[in-house]
Amino acid sequence: MSEQVHNRLSVVRAERKVSRQQLAAAVGVHYQTIGYIERGQYNPSLDLALRVAEFFGLPVEALFSLKPFSPLTDEVYGRKQ
Amino acid sequence: MSARQTGEPTAYDRRMLALMNREEARPFHATAGRRRAVVGAHLALSVLGGAAPFVAEATGRTWPLFVLLGLLVPWCLATGVLNSATRGLLELRGRVLDERQRAERDRVLARAHRLTTLVLLAAALGAVAAGGLGGFDGGPLGDGPLGDGPLGDGPLGGVRAGSLLLPALAGALLVHWLMPLWVAGLLVRDEPADEREA
Repeated sequence: MSEQVHNRLSVVRAERKVSRQQLAAAVGVHYQTIGYIERGQYNPSLDLALRVAEFFGLPVEALFSLKPFSPLTDEVYGRKQ
Repeated sequence: MSARQTGEPTAYDRRMLALMNREEARPFHATAGRRRAVVGAHLALSVLGGAAPFVAEATGRTWPLFVLLGLLVPWCLATGVLNSATRGLLELRGRVLDERQRAERDRVLARAHRLTTLVLLAAALGAVAAGGLGGFDGGPLGDGPLGDGPLGDGPLGGVRAGSLLLPALAGALLVHWLMPLWVAGLLVRDEPADEREA
């Protein structure tokens, strides 16, 4: 069983220009908890993951995954071989 | 319907939450080394402060009580720094902590419980060894109702059992009360510089 939940929270947060404090206030957690999640030091509960996904208007699997994410640019433009 | 029933933070909760998240003490707990130093200082101040009344009692002098009063201010400051470092992990009610903080608090309390058990076990074994492994002379707890008989033939042979009972209980209470704060202070991780702004 995987203990590490990967996420691209920092990328999405930066792209949407949302600070940790703003996101934390919106989903009802301490701003440090957002930092812990981004650094992979804490795996959020399903409830919190869904609240974060709802805040960004994204499906939860766009933000959290059991497998490492590939870079967004690769997904959008594809990697040149 | 009360706040306890609804789970909503009270005005007291909000005030405490703001207090525990103030930044004034940040320079004192910004690094692991500083937090260790504060925990060490807090431990030393607690031991000295806890011992002072018993020293006053044993010597019949009042100066240890003035020492205790003098230690109170730095002790309160060190406690404040540790609470600031942990963001009030042990001071705030569960309803104002988030899921990560509640999990962290459970981990701290579990570890503190194990450490307290070890400390009390070591103290009990030490007391038995110091008492000459022979128990108490003059009955199971000495001659008086709280054990006024002398302790065995060991290094504490001349000490009355009853005179050690209250300091031992006070020490156990101190460890039980403050161990979670010391453990929490030692387990805090460094906050990245841009954590608050980014």
